[in-house]
Amino acid sequence: MTEASTTGFSEDWRAAVAAALDAAVPGSVELGALVYVERLLTALDRDPPRIWAAPGRWDGPFGSPAADEPAWLELGPWERQAWAERIAGYRATYDRVADGAATEDDLRQVHHHASEATYGDPAYGGNRGGGGWARIGFPEPQYPPARSDPVELRVDRGVRPR
Amino acid sequence: MTDFDCDAVIIGSGPGGATAAEVLTAAGWSVIVLEKGRNHLISLDAPHEPLRHFANDEIAAHRRFFFGPDPLLEPRTYRRTEADGDRIATGEVNNLPSTVGGGGVHADAKLPRFLEEDFALRTTRGPIDGAEVEDWPISYEDVEPHYTAVEQLFGVAGEDGANPFAAWRSAPYPLPPGPDMPMAVVTSAAAERAGLHPYRAPTGINSVHADGRPACTDCGYCGGYGCPVQAKNDPIAALQRALRTGRCEIRPESYVTDIVRDASGTRATGVRYLDLTHHPDPPAREVRARHAVVLAAGAFETPRLLLRQGLGGDLVGRFLTYHYQTFTVGIFERDTEGERGRSVTHLHDDLMIDTPEMRAVAAAAGLPWVKGGVVEHGSGHMPVEESTTYPTGELHLPAMVDSALRRRFWVFTMQGEDLPQAANRVDLDPSVRDVWGFPAGRVTYAPHRHELVASAHAGPLHEAILRDAGALAAFTATSPPQGDLDLHAVANPLGIAPASKHVMGTARMGSDPAASVVSPEQRLWDCDNVVVCDSSVFVTSTGYNPTLTLAALAHRAATLLVGGHA
Repeated sequence: MTEASTTGFSEDWRAAVAAALDAAVPGSVELGALVYVERLLTALDRDPPRIWAAPGRWDGPFGSPAADEPAWLELGPWERQAWAERIAGYRATYDRVADGAATEDDLRQVHHHASEATYGDPAYGGNRGGGGWARIGFPEPQYPPARSDPVELRVDRGVRPR
Repeated sequence: MTDFDCDAVIIGSGPGGATAAEVLTAAGWSVIVLEKGRNHLISLDAPHEPLRHFANDEIAAHRRFFFGPDPLLEPRTYRRTEADGDRIATGEVNNLPSTVGGGGVHADAKLPRFLEEDFALRTTRGPIDGAEVEDWPISYEDVEPHYTAVEQLFGVAGEDGANPFAAWRSAPYPLPPGPDMPMAVVTSAAAERAGLHPYRAPTGINSVHADGRPACTDCGYCGGYGCPVQAKNDPIAALQRALRTGRCEIRPESYVTDIVRDASGTRATGVRYLDLTHHPDPPAREVRARHAVVLAAGAFETPRLLLRQGLGGDLVGRFLTYHYQTFTVGIFERDTEGERGRSVTHLHDDLMIDTPEMRAVAAAAGLPWVKGGVVEHGSGHMPVEESTTYPTGELHLPAMVDSALRRRFWVFTMQGEDLPQAANRVDLDPSVRDVWGFPAGRVTYAPHRHELVASAHAGPLHEAILRDAGALAAFTATSPPQGDLDLHAVANPLGIAPASKHVMGTARMGSDPAASVVSPEQRLWDCDNVVVCDSSVFVTSTGYNPTLTLAALAHRAATLLVGGHA
């Protein structure tokens, strides 16, 4: 199921892109993959651009309101130029996906973005509520990291007999 | 005000440049450090606290070029030999972070010393056809005091006496070793059963609160990540000390274009650089240095700058070495718990040692000797990277849950000694340029047969050890890959160019100006107040992580520069 667009992409475009993302990584759209792609394609519309999430603002439970409003690190002017070029390439990729004309390279890019959206940091719009990590048993990273959880305590003691 | 802006200008803020800055400022010199990349490490305002831009964020660190360089701005090119034509790959080639702190930011800070033999390999082992194996012009004894100094500076955590092959040392490690990664204990035991000698890796990461920074939390985001709590000491410790003298200024986003020389051309008076805080027309600025230019841009960018300047002679860029990486992967039934820890906590050196077994390997291959490299016991895959390696569609989620390449994965990585060859080099690509119009650096690299023989020996040995440790399956791969190039270009997550971040040898140190680029004091022969303080000066690659040695050499060169005793 896709959410209502706030980014100006047509519903046909969104439906086609969502289908491609889910075909690459099943369940990715439910976890926010389409939001991830839309945020990436419009990342430079915000200031700072939504390219690098800043630590420290998303330390609440994943999926909390705080997670929807992460802080972002500033890009340098040359980094903005590079990202404008890169995002234009991504946009062309997804336009071909929406037109049913995706190339092998396009589908590889979709796979990579679906992976980022499913298993990357929720600040970028995917992995809603840490659900992507939960489904594979990956421990949610903490910020700031602390030596407090059971796995870390096991590391302190060294290997355990099995 | 004099005609000078500082006593020394330092190009690059990684472990070499940072160490030089610490030594020079401690001696009372003023320095300006020019860093091409951006600053995410340390406040440039007193008291120079960490900026805390780093997070446990796989997307920023590994998918979005957070540490730079961005290959769209600064492409590099690669070919195996001249027979490949101008290039076979363009984009990322051995990119080390281009940011304040350089390669020290992303490394998991394994900081072993070299062995005594490593400085005299031609004497101890002899020549090999097709390679330029030479002794260094300095010995382990020359470097040892500086090893001790930088171990203190970086707060190396290690276990004295644990490695039976280690060189002598004049002081103990300043910090005790950190906690073991659980699976490293298992694979170390298996390695011992095979007659090997694993030990806890010397690591420049706080195992206890030290130097104003906390102990490592073993959060698991180590190799390839900036440390969110600054438990990694290299190079923030050196930069912080330099800045706090009040005699050090760091200028990020400063792209050095020229080493300015006097009318004779044999003495540097400063550098010109582009101020990249401006776009799209960065202004050229100049820094005038009273005494010296310290070139610490890394073994890729240092020769690139020298070649553009026509400095250093005909050997600049040649004898490029990496570590020929042999990855032996074990897939276990158990959870290997690699998501916690410092990426690697144990090493073994046995395949670097002159033993009857290694002599037999060499004899069977028709080589006079064979030397492998340090072997890292580690994990490493993060879930996004893992996901991109699995099939799409209905097979995807079962593969991720089964997680053979992350949760049940353990790897021995041999950083194999790479013999210096004149044909392996960094030069200037004839047509690819960076966004500022300067020729891209180009790598020409193919391994010597020696490396392939060492790798072929290590693979089956390590596969057997991993099976003994409980692996259900084990296999071996290398970087650069061997075999079908077209297949690797599409499917190999490490790519077709060498993936090693250990880049060395491109401004070789020597006693003979005709056979080297820099003197034993690391000064350019043809412009002797340009001092090279990075791994460019290595004569041989050894099989050890280069950072501690390049920092020790920077410490030595800077000490000599200010008139101290080496």
